[in-house]
Amino acid sequence: MQGITGGQAQVDTERALRYGACIVAGVTPGRGGERVHEVPVFDSVAQAAAATRVDATVIYAPPLAVRDAALEAIDAAVPLLVVMAEGVPLHDVALIVRAARETGVLLVGCNTNGIISPGKSRIGGIGGVDPSEIYVPGRIGICSRSGGMAAELALTLKRSGLGVSTCVSMGGDRITGLRMADYARMFEADEGTEAIVVFGEPGTDNEQELAGAVSRREVTKPVVALVAGAFQERYPAGRSFGHAAALIQSAADTASAKRKALEAAGARVAEALEDIPRLLAVAGVAVPTAIQSRREGETDASPA
Amino acid sequence: MIPVASPQAAADATRGLLGRMIDGHRVDRVYVEQMIPIATELFLSFTFDGDGPCVMLCARGGVEIETIVATSPDSLVERSIDPRRGLESWHALDLWFEAGVRGRALRELASVTSRLYQVFRSGDAEMLEVNPLAIDADGRVLVVGAMVGLDANAFARHPEWPAVTAADANPRERRVAEIDASVPGGECRYVELDGDIGLLVGGGGAGLYQHDRLVAIGARPANHCVTPPTGTDSRKLKAVIEAILDNPRVRALLVGFNFAQMARADIRVRSLLEVLGEKRIDTARLPIVIRLFGAGEAEARAAVAGHPSVHYMTREASLDDAVRLTAALARSPTIGVGS
Repeated sequence: MQGITGGQAQVDTERALRYGACIVAGVTPGRGGERVHEVPVFDSVAQAAAATRVDATVIYAPPLAVRDAALEAIDAAVPLLVVMAEGVPLHDVALIVRAARETGVLLVGCNTNGIISPGKSRIGGIGGVDPSEIYVPGRIGICSRSGGMAAELALTLKRSGLGVSTCVSMGGDRITGLRMADYARMFEADEGTEAIVVFGEPGTDNEQELAGAVSRREVTKPVVALVAGAFQERYPAGRSFGHAAALIQSAADTASAKRKALEAAGARVAEALEDIPRLLAVAGVAVPTAIQSRREGETDASPA
Repeated sequence: MIPVASPQAAADATRGLLGRMIDGHRVDRVYVEQMIPIATELFLSFTFDGDGPCVMLCARGGVEIETIVATSPDSLVERSIDPRRGLESWHALDLWFEAGVRGRALRELASVTSRLYQVFRSGDAEMLEVNPLAIDADGRVLVVGAMVGLDANAFARHPEWPAVTAADANPRERRVAEIDASVPGGECRYVELDGDIGLLVGGGGAGLYQHDRLVAIGARPANHCVTPPTGTDSRKLKAVIEAILDNPRVRALLVGFNFAQMARADIRVRSLLEVLGEKRIDTARLPIVIRLFGAGEAEARAAVAGHPSVHYMTREASLDDAVRLTAALARSPTIGVGS
């Protein structure tokens, strides 16, 4: 845990430990020798890596400090980096993504909410206070551009009696380390995963790349995709409605174009969350419970 | 661009421009430079693709660049740049050669291109386009027209950058942009649209999704927005809520956040109630649907109890349940802040 003495990092460390993650070391320059929830703190990643067996690091550095923190971890030969910060400058992201790729280091994020394998382990903030409320063990792999929507996907699955093998919040930035197609190939190779659910947004060519991987049969397990943001196409191009990454730059970047590309490749495209269990069933996944029809779930059902 | 033949003519033209409105911007400075007899026009741009920085260049530039690229795409040379190595002048020289440039100009062209990459890099630009990049009759390379897009994420390390707001922003949008620029913490944004359902969302995937679903069932959002996670300072959140409630078209409000929230629900709900109170808005006339769970949820539910027309969804409710209820309520004929 790089930046383990920070507020959010301490909270996430405690929660991850409670969930079963094996956290061997924390790093905060100048705080070596301290302990956070019994985890020893080191001054540098190299020192932590020399003293313990590190196979992943979660980076809690603020946006402008991510570049150095990530390069330090790559220099220390940590094989998996998970970068939480949102708003890392583009030139810094490009630099660390390139450095990671050339050294064979896996980079999750930036702007990820973390990774969870329900019932096994979690890193990052994903799952919140009580992950079991959202994530139950199962055989569906989730990859989401949005951390929050990852939870909605998992919740939708849970309510149909399905569970999750691994859920990764891949980050919503314009440039990310691992891309949607990379995660899909990992799920393809994972024996514990039967089908893949992805959440996409306008901007970037992640979904087109995934469509390519599906049509080339690099990914043969069923893929169900929900791509949000089609409403943007009702407005002039170049208008940004959310995160900078969700800015449409070309016609291929729109939610509609992505849905079309995925559908043409053989993936199944959901219009709404509640379509996902049905589409998984159509793709051959055994969905335990019928989808409940819930029209009104609010406390006061009668509008005043 | 106004060509003039003498210093006197330049002064006259400048006087005519100062104070004028052009595309919603008031002219308060005029740039005067030497007229250059251009021998050759080239095109150069630095931008990002999904992997990192890349360069695009073409031996033919100027106003026709889009047509040139469309009709002969092969004339455009595109290359990704290794951000650790940058773009050295000898790399740039090979690219211009590949684009068809020959002769004496190559050397300076390569040097200027490499230095412009430095500008792109150290200036934290997400886009830098030079069109035309010109060669004059004496073989000098000149940056004649240039456009730069700056990376908003790098604002903190560029105190020299001015705050910019969209020229076509209305007063509500401008106010949110001002708060965003002046208050520390996560980003807030507010874009007004032509519908009647106010949307108070986080701004990430769930905001896009709920907006889509409202449109899919025939409802029209009055805005889109980005609100930061609540910390100790709720000024940004309140600025967005104020903008939404000041919009006279709003007939219903959807407060829709993802199930797993780090931020406290009660801070969001209290901010909403404060603004409703300050603006003396009768919630009987403005139905509000809240789907907001997590820390502080019990306090948030208690805070809205007793407010008519505030519908706090149960924990079983999906984003779609909240969207459907909001759309149904907005169709009710008896509501509306302004009515």
